[in-house]
Amino acid sequence: MATVTESGVELDGVSVDFGDVSALNDVSITVDQGEFFTLVGPSGCGKTTTLRTIAGFESPTEGTVTIDGEDVTDRPPEDRNVGVVFQNYALFPHMNVRENVGYGLRHRDPPGGVSRRERVDELLELVDMTGLAERDPTELSGGQQQRIALARALAPGPELLLLDEPLSALDVRLRERLRVTLREIQQSLDITTVYVTHDQEEALAISDRVAVVADGGIEQVGSPEAIYRSPASRFVAEFVGDNNVFDRTVQGSDPPHVSIDDQAVPLEAAPTLSQGDRATLSIRPEDLSFHERDVSITVTVQQVEFLGDAYRVHCEWGETEILVKTTDDDIPRETVTLWFDVTDVYVVDRSATE
Amino acid sequence: MRERAERLAVPLGLSATVAVLIVVFYYPVGSVLADAVFSDGRMTFAPIADVLTDPFYTGAAHHLFTDPLGVPVGLVEWLLAVEFFLFGVDLPPTSIGLFGFTAYQAALSTVASVALGLPGAYLLSRYEFPGRRTVRSLTILPFVLPGIMVAVGFLAMFGRNGLFNDVIGLVGLGPVEALFTLEIVVVAHAFYNAPLVTRLVTTAWESVDRRQVETARSMGATPFRAFRDVVVPQLLPSLLTASLLTFVFTFMTFPIVLALGGLQLATVEVWLYARVQNLELAEAAALGAIETAISLGLTYLYLRYEARQVATRSAGTPLARRQLFASVRSLRDPHRLALAGYGIVVLVVFVGPLASMVVESVTGPGGQFTLDYYRFLLSQQTSSATGTTRPLPAIVNSLRFGVGTLLLALPMGIVVAVVANRDVTGSRGAEAVLSAPLAVSGIVVGLGLLQTLVFGTVILDYRITVLGPIAIVFAHAVAAYPFVTRNVAPALGELDPRLVDAARSLGASRFRSLVDIELPLVASGVVAGAAFAFAISVGEFDSTVLLAEGVDSYTMPVALERYIGNRSLGPSLGAATAMGTVLLAVTAGSFVVIDRVGGRWQP
Repeated sequence: MATVTESGVELDGVSVDFGDVSALNDVSITVDQGEFFTLVGPSGCGKTTTLRTIAGFESPTEGTVTIDGEDVTDRPPEDRNVGVVFQNYALFPHMNVRENVGYGLRHRDPPGGVSRRERVDELLELVDMTGLAERDPTELSGGQQQRIALARALAPGPELLLLDEPLSALDVRLRERLRVTLREIQQSLDITTVYVTHDQEEALAISDRVAVVADGGIEQVGSPEAIYRSPASRFVAEFVGDNNVFDRTVQGSDPPHVSIDDQAVPLEAAPTLSQGDRATLSIRPEDLSFHERDVSITVTVQQVEFLGDAYRVHCEWGETEILVKTTDDDIPRETVTLWFDVTDVYVVDRSATE
Repeated sequence: MRERAERLAVPLGLSATVAVLIVVFYYPVGSVLADAVFSDGRMTFAPIADVLTDPFYTGAAHHLFTDPLGVPVGLVEWLLAVEFFLFGVDLPPTSIGLFGFTAYQAALSTVASVALGLPGAYLLSRYEFPGRRTVRSLTILPFVLPGIMVAVGFLAMFGRNGLFNDVIGLVGLGPVEALFTLEIVVVAHAFYNAPLVTRLVTTAWESVDRRQVETARSMGATPFRAFRDVVVPQLLPSLLTASLLTFVFTFMTFPIVLALGGLQLATVEVWLYARVQNLELAEAAALGAIETAISLGLTYLYLRYEARQVATRSAGTPLARRQLFASVRSLRDPHRLALAGYGIVVLVVFVGPLASMVVESVTGPGGQFTLDYYRFLLSQQTSSATGTTRPLPAIVNSLRFGVGTLLLALPMGIVVAVVANRDVTGSRGAEAVLSAPLAVSGIVVGLGLLQTLVFGTVILDYRITVLGPIAIVFAHAVAAYPFVTRNVAPALGELDPRLVDAARSLGASRFRSLVDIELPLVASGVVAGAAFAFAISVGEFDSTVLLAEGVDSYTMPVALERYIGNRSLGPSLGAATAMGTVLLAVTAGSFVVIDRVGGRWQP
C-alpha cells in the first residue's frame, strides 16, 4: 500500500469557521489510496469537522479538498462519491434493511454491472447480515445496525469511506470485535478510509497511519508505533497512552544531558539541544521498573490499581505524579527506588533559551 | 436536467414563496400603509395625525398629539378616564377612544381567557379521567372554528330566545339580555383563547420534573411552598406567552365583535371595516397603519419572549396524575367539587353555543321541531332573484378555496419550515419576514388586495387585475401557511440532521432527501398542517368578506353573515343557524382529519 503514490484524499490548507469560531485552522493532510487513516483527538478538537469537510457537509472558508486527484471543494456531498458511516448509524427509520442498503443505488448505478437487488445481497453477505433484509432498523441491535450502516455506505461502490466514531455507541467487547471486522472488510475492498475516534487505543489498533488533532490543527501524523514511541509534542505524549511527562533544563552539549535526581542522563536522541534549553521529557509507565536499570529515582507509592494483566502504580516524585505499569506481584507500599534505561527517555518538546 | 431542477427546488420554492408574499401581502399591505402617509404624491402625515388627534379614536389621550406640551395633564386625564371606565362610572366610551376601548376589551378578554383556561390546565395535567387525551386534543378545536359561526352559536345560546334564557327561565330567573354587551364579546373571546391558555400551560405543567418537587418536599417544603417555589416559576413563561397571544388575537378581533357587539362596541378592526364600506379609504388606511404598528410590536414582543424560552425544556419524569373519580369519598373533596363547577362553566361556554346553534336550526318559533330553515336554504338555492345568497355556491366556493389554499399553503409552509431549520445567518430575520402575516389583520390584507390587485394595478402601461376568487385563495394561503410551518418545522427540527447527511452522501440532492427522508418522517405534521390550512381557509372571514363583495365568490362564513342580517323568516336566527350547522359539519370533518393523524399545534 505504501508504494501507491496517488493520493486518496488531500486537504490543502483547509480552514473552517462557524461564525466567529474557528473550527479548523490551516489543516493539510494527505491520505494514500487504500490507506486506513485515523483522526484522533479529544472532543471538540475538529476531527469530526475535518471528516465532514471531506464529505462535503461543511464548506472550507479557505483551502482545497481533493479526492482521487479531483478538486471537490465546491461539490455538494451527493457528487463526491463517498460513503459515510455515522456514530448513531443514521439508518432511515421508515425503510427496512434492504431499502436502507439500496437507497444509494437509487441515485448511482451498482458497480460491477449487477442488478440493484444482487448488489444489496452482496453487501448484506459482506457484513454477515444475510437473512435480515426485510427487518426494520429499529428491530436490530446496535451492532447489527452498525453493520447495516456500513453496508449502506459501501453499496454504491464509493471511492472513499468515511467513518465518524462508528463504534463509540457499542459496549467494549463488541467494539473490539467489530473493529477487527471493519479492518478486514476495509483491507479486502482496498478502499481508502478515514476514521474518526476519540479513543486513542482504538486509533493505534486499527490504523495504517494516525493523525492526532487538537484545537483545530494537526499535532502529529505517523504510524501508530511512531505516534506512541516518539510523540512530537507534549500534547501527543499525554493524549496517546499513559505517560510520565516532566521538564528539565539541558546542561552542556555533546552529548546534551539533563540532571535527574542528581544523575546525568544523556539525551542521545536529540543531539541538537544545547546548554540552557528547556526540554520536555517523557518515560512510558511500562518502561519504569522496580529492578535495577541505568537511572534511579526515589518515589513514594500512593495507590495500586489491579488491571488484570498488570498493576498500575500511582507514585509521587516530588511535585510530579509518576505512573508505573508492572507485572510484579509484590509492590512496595512506601518510599521506593524506581529504575529506567537512558534509551527510554524521549524528548517530546523543547524550547531554546532567550 | 432533472438533477438541475432538483438542486434548485428549495431555493426556487423559497423565491416563489417570497414572491407570493410580496405580491399578495407586502405590496397590498404596503399600499395601505402608503395611503396613510402619501396623498396626491406628496408625503403627509395628515390622515394618521387626524386619527391620533381625534378624541373619537384616542380619547382623552388625543392631547398627546394635539398639545404635546400639555402631555402630563392629558395623560392624567386619560388615565382618569380609563379608571372611571374600569370602575363602571358611566362615561361615554369616547373618553378612552376607539384604540383605548379596543385595548381595554382585549385586556378583559385576556383576563377572562386565563381565568377560564387555567383550571382546565390544572385538570388536564394533574388528574386522570376517561377521555382526558380526547379533551386535551379537543383544545385545538376552537382555533379552527370560523369566528362568524361561533358568533351565531353565541346568538343562539345567549339571545333573548336563546337556550340560556330558556334554561334559567325554568328556575324562574331571567331573562338576561346579553347581546350587544361587552360581557358577551369577552366570553366569546374566551371561547377562542381559553383553550390556548389551557393547552400551553398544560404542556408546561406536564414537563415539570416530579423529582424537583420531591427534592423541595424532602428539604422541608410544604406542598403549597413546593408548588409556589418549584412549579409556578415553570408555568409562568407559558402563561405569559398565552396571554400575549390572546391579547394580540383579541386586539385584532373582528367577526365576533361585528356580530355580537355591533358598532356601539366597535373595535379598531370593526370600525376599519365600516370605513371601507363607506369608502373612506384614507381614514381606513390610517387606522390600518396604526393598528398594524401596534400588533406588529406586540408580536415582536411575543417572538422575542418565545425565543428566550426555547432552552428550558426538560426531559424528566412528569408529576403523577390523581384519579378524578377515585371513590365515593372523593366526591366530597373540595378540589373535585370545584372542578365539577368548572365542568359546568365549560359546558355552558364551549358546548352550549355550538349545541344551541344545531338545536335552534331545527326548532321553530314555538319550540316545535322544524326543517323550515333548511328548506329556506334550498329555496334560496332555487331563487332567481339577483343578489340572493345561495348556499350551494357558498359550500362549493369554500371547498374550492380550501383545496386551492391547501395546494398553495402546503409547499409554502414546508419551504419556510426547511429554511427556518437551517442554522444560517439571517435565518432569524428571514423567519420574521415570513411570519409577519400572522400579525397583520385580515381586513388590512383584504383592503390592500382590493385596492391593488382586484381593482387593478398598472405595470409598464398594462393594467393588471386579479379576479376576486384568485385573490381570495392567495389571501387565504398567506394566512394559512404559517400554520403549516408551525406544524412541520418543530418535527423537522427534531429529526437527526445526519439522516439528511446520510442521504446526500448516498447521492441524493437536498430536494430528494427532503422528499425521500424528511417529509415521510414528519408526515403527521404535514397532514396536520394541511388540515389547518384547509380549516383556516374554510373559516376565514375578515379578508374574504371584503374580496367577495359584489361578486359571487362568497364563502360559507360570508353567506352566514348575510343570513344573520336576513330576517325574512321572522325574528329568529333560523337561516343563520342552519347555515352555521352546515359550516360546523364541514369544519368538524377537517378537524377529524387533524385528530386522526395525531396533529398538534404548538405555538
